[in-house]
Amino acid sequence: MQKKIGLAIDQISKLVIGKKRQIKLAMSCLLADGHLLIEDLPGMGKTTLSHALAAALGMDFSRIQFTSDLLPADMLGLNIFNNNTHSFEFHPGPIFSQMVLADEINRASPKTQSALLEAMEEKQVSLDGNTHTLPSPFFVIGTQNPTHQSGTYPLPESQLDRFLMRIQLGYPDWQAEKDMLMQDAEIQNSAFKTVITTDELIELQNLVTKVHASDAIVNYVLKLVTHSRESEAFPNPLSPRASKALLSAAKGWAFVEGRDFVIPEDIQAVLPSVAEHRMRASSSDLTGQASLSDKLLEAIDPLAA
Amino acid sequence: MTSSINNHSHFVLTLTFLLTSLTLYTSVMAWIIILVICAVTMRLALYFQLHKHAPSIRTLNLLALLSGIVLAYFSLQLGVLLGMLNLLVMASALKLMLLRNNRDYHQLVTTVGFLIGCGFIFQQGIVFSIIYLLLMVALILSLALHYSPSKSLLQTSKDISIMGLQALPIALLLFLVMPKFDPLWQMPAAKSTETGLSEKITPGDIAKLSQSSDLVFRASFTGDIPQPQERYWRAIVLEDFDGASWQISPQRMAINNQYRQYSEEFDASGEGRVFQYEVFAEPTHQNWLYAIDVAIPDGSYSNQRIWQNHDYQLISQAPLVSTFQYKVKSYPSANLNQSLYSLDKRINLQLPPKTGNPKTQAWVDNLRSQHPDDVDFAQKILEYFENQGFSYTLKPPLMQDEPVDQFLFEAKQGFCSHYASAMAYALRLGGIPARLVTGYQGGELRSDYLSIYQYDAHAWVEAWFDETGWQRIDPTAVVAPDRIQYGLQSAVEAENFLYNSPFSLARFNSVTWLNDLRLMLNSVDYAWTKWVLGFDQEQQKDLFKSFIGELTPRKVALFAFGVFALIFTLIALFYLPLWRKPKLDKSTSYYLKAQQILGKLGIYRADSKGPIDFSSQVARATDMSISAPFERLTKLYVIHMYRPDTPIELRKHHAMMAKELSKMKAAVKALGKVEVLEQS
Repeated sequence: MQKKIGLAIDQISKLVIGKKRQIKLAMSCLLADGHLLIEDLPGMGKTTLSHALAAALGMDFSRIQFTSDLLPADMLGLNIFNNNTHSFEFHPGPIFSQMVLADEINRASPKTQSALLEAMEEKQVSLDGNTHTLPSPFFVIGTQNPTHQSGTYPLPESQLDRFLMRIQLGYPDWQAEKDMLMQDAEIQNSAFKTVITTDELIELQNLVTKVHASDAIVNYVLKLVTHSRESEAFPNPLSPRASKALLSAAKGWAFVEGRDFVIPEDIQAVLPSVAEHRMRASSSDLTGQASLSDKLLEAIDPLAA
Repeated sequence: MTSSINNHSHFVLTLTFLLTSLTLYTSVMAWIIILVICAVTMRLALYFQLHKHAPSIRTLNLLALLSGIVLAYFSLQLGVLLGMLNLLVMASALKLMLLRNNRDYHQLVTTVGFLIGCGFIFQQGIVFSIIYLLLMVALILSLALHYSPSKSLLQTSKDISIMGLQALPIALLLFLVMPKFDPLWQMPAAKSTETGLSEKITPGDIAKLSQSSDLVFRASFTGDIPQPQERYWRAIVLEDFDGASWQISPQRMAINNQYRQYSEEFDASGEGRVFQYEVFAEPTHQNWLYAIDVAIPDGSYSNQRIWQNHDYQLISQAPLVSTFQYKVKSYPSANLNQSLYSLDKRINLQLPPKTGNPKTQAWVDNLRSQHPDDVDFAQKILEYFENQGFSYTLKPPLMQDEPVDQFLFEAKQGFCSHYASAMAYALRLGGIPARLVTGYQGGELRSDYLSIYQYDAHAWVEAWFDETGWQRIDPTAVVAPDRIQYGLQSAVEAENFLYNSPFSLARFNSVTWLNDLRLMLNSVDYAWTKWVLGFDQEQQKDLFKSFIGELTPRKVALFAFGVFALIFTLIALFYLPLWRKPKLDKSTSYYLKAQQILGKLGIYRADSKGPIDFSSQVARATDMSISAPFERLTKLYVIHMYRPDTPIELRKHHAMMAKELSKMKAAVKALGKVEVLEQS
């Protein structure tokens, strides 16, 4: 089973070239049953990555382009009166898909944003007293432009927190971009093949929760979050939800790496994606200043008893 | 390999070494000091990156060989102590030039620490004690910087000062309670370090001594303090005269050695006035002690360490290499008429060859024929000094041929030793046993103690009269009564006093505030000498007594036990958190050992690095022979630490880890050999 993850990652990296690390992170996020936020400039391959991911995992996919006039109903669906049956019928919106790409999430109004985030957290939609369960697996990839761009409503910390990870794609290096430009269409087409079925994915997600985190690892996680709370260098300390997220993301990463136990390197690999957006105020962007997560990692010795 | 570039620990060590060597300037030869300065300059140039290349081993070996030869050449002159000291300083300078790896550094730190200890052989005053304390702190600072190079200089200094303050109470306690043993070894005597009076005096020598304002000793009185004219501190009795200079009679020395066990010649039963005092003598590297007139050691402790010879000199059993403290009782009104053996008479009538000083001989013959009475005769000689226009001066003309003739009949001016020498010679010519005594006269009184300086050095005569025994006669008192009453300064003109040391504070006695300052420093130094340097067995006993009452062995044992228990508890409290820590499990300790081995190669795990990352770092940084076993060891460690507890064979894994560890050790050793080969 774990081999298939490797295959899926290989296939995705044919499309999103030179971003193996981000792909692995996205995969860990998915396996840990969390949602992913991709923050980058337009045209960096955010959408490509989500498409490829959905294709490789055989998930049905829908895309919601967020704009400032998008209403919650446009996304969640609405009850329409059926003249024939004389009753209201629920017409599900685009969110009722296994994988939802919420594009430019920070362009939508706060009302729509919170509707989405609520659905993400609850995995269900409540409308006019009826509860509609979202499909399983349910995975949201939010993308957002860096917040300093015009026409954006920055997500509040409380909602950023709902995303297990936030990653950045960044510019590809010379060779990767060259490969991308030279690539022929055939390869691109061959890349949209289902590697892991939905059922298998659910099984994998179950396995990930069973990945072993030893006492030493839990202590390491605790030391990290405690340090973020005790040191003055961190304006927004990590919450217990963050420590839970850190551990489950690390389990996902360990699983992607082909292990059934977590080692400190797993924590270190996922920490910037899991913790940075939680510690940094939402209004500031990732560029500039030294990364807070690096500061946090440097402060703690994973091997100390 | 450690580089000096921006290496603060090397920088601090270099400066510490430089300062330590400079404080030893009196004992270390000039060319070695130059060698030290060269080494320091070289190291500083490396530190500030003015220069990049340390001298090669070949150059240094050559330099060491040459220095060794030169030192060997001088070594006979220097004696054992100074020879060894010079060798140590020289070796450290060469080591400073080399200083390539950890071992060199540690050797140098240890040696400089030892040098600081050596400094106390020569200097024990409060100023030097403070300097050496600071140097010791600097040395520890260097060590601390060596072990945590990433910490800032300021932070480390702060840490060191805090630790120093923490250590202070323990040091104080140990100072008070540690048993004060006499040294188990004898300090090798060093001729050139002897100071003060010498065993051979040519008139004029004391004039040189009078140019020094160094402290000789202090005496702290209980009860009466003698009047200025009574302060004759006897030190050395000189009985052998060769026409120009006086020295200790060789016969007397032989006798003294023979009769050493019969100490205490003087019996003090009911002898009138008594001065009771304690003397703190500065180191002279000689055995002579000082006391007023006839004195006997007071108390058993002083008695053990001092003996009195037939001339009533007090002599210490061991040379005074550090501040020496003793209690004595003086009997100023006692007659020195214990006994004059025929041998004493012969020694004290000994005359130089008849040919010398003919004028004096003729004069004495003439005078003696007029005054057959001994006392009368002595009185007439004194009157001659008084009436014939003699003057007291520190700068007498040179009197080389027939010095006594020249002094008595031509120059008619001189220093105390001229008068004493001429007088003793004249008395001997007249058939009266006489001898020259050197010592100190006077002293500066402050509350209840007297400070005696080198410029108080004095010489006088003792003559034997059948009725009264040995009698002190001081011809200087006749010529310059002020010298006896008010000290040297009032007896000579101001510009002559201490003219060789223009900056000595004692020279500016007339400036009030400077004099106050001098007296204040004097008090501080007195307190230091009395309470710190003078803290010996006896004082310790007194202190114990004041705490626990009368001393019984059981109490002493209990007290000592209590104190050590207290210190032990303090240390235990410090270490307790460490002991309480859970013991490391076996795999962790193996892993830590492996890290230590890699540390020797200069590969350190950054605190935040995980085991696998570190393993790949090691793989990049070293040879396969080391990284491969480490990688396997890391894998086992990771399994232990992070894998679920499957029934793995723990013991087998530990054995495997141990094996990988020894493989690493062997590989490092092999690698070390290869490096040495490459270097040579």
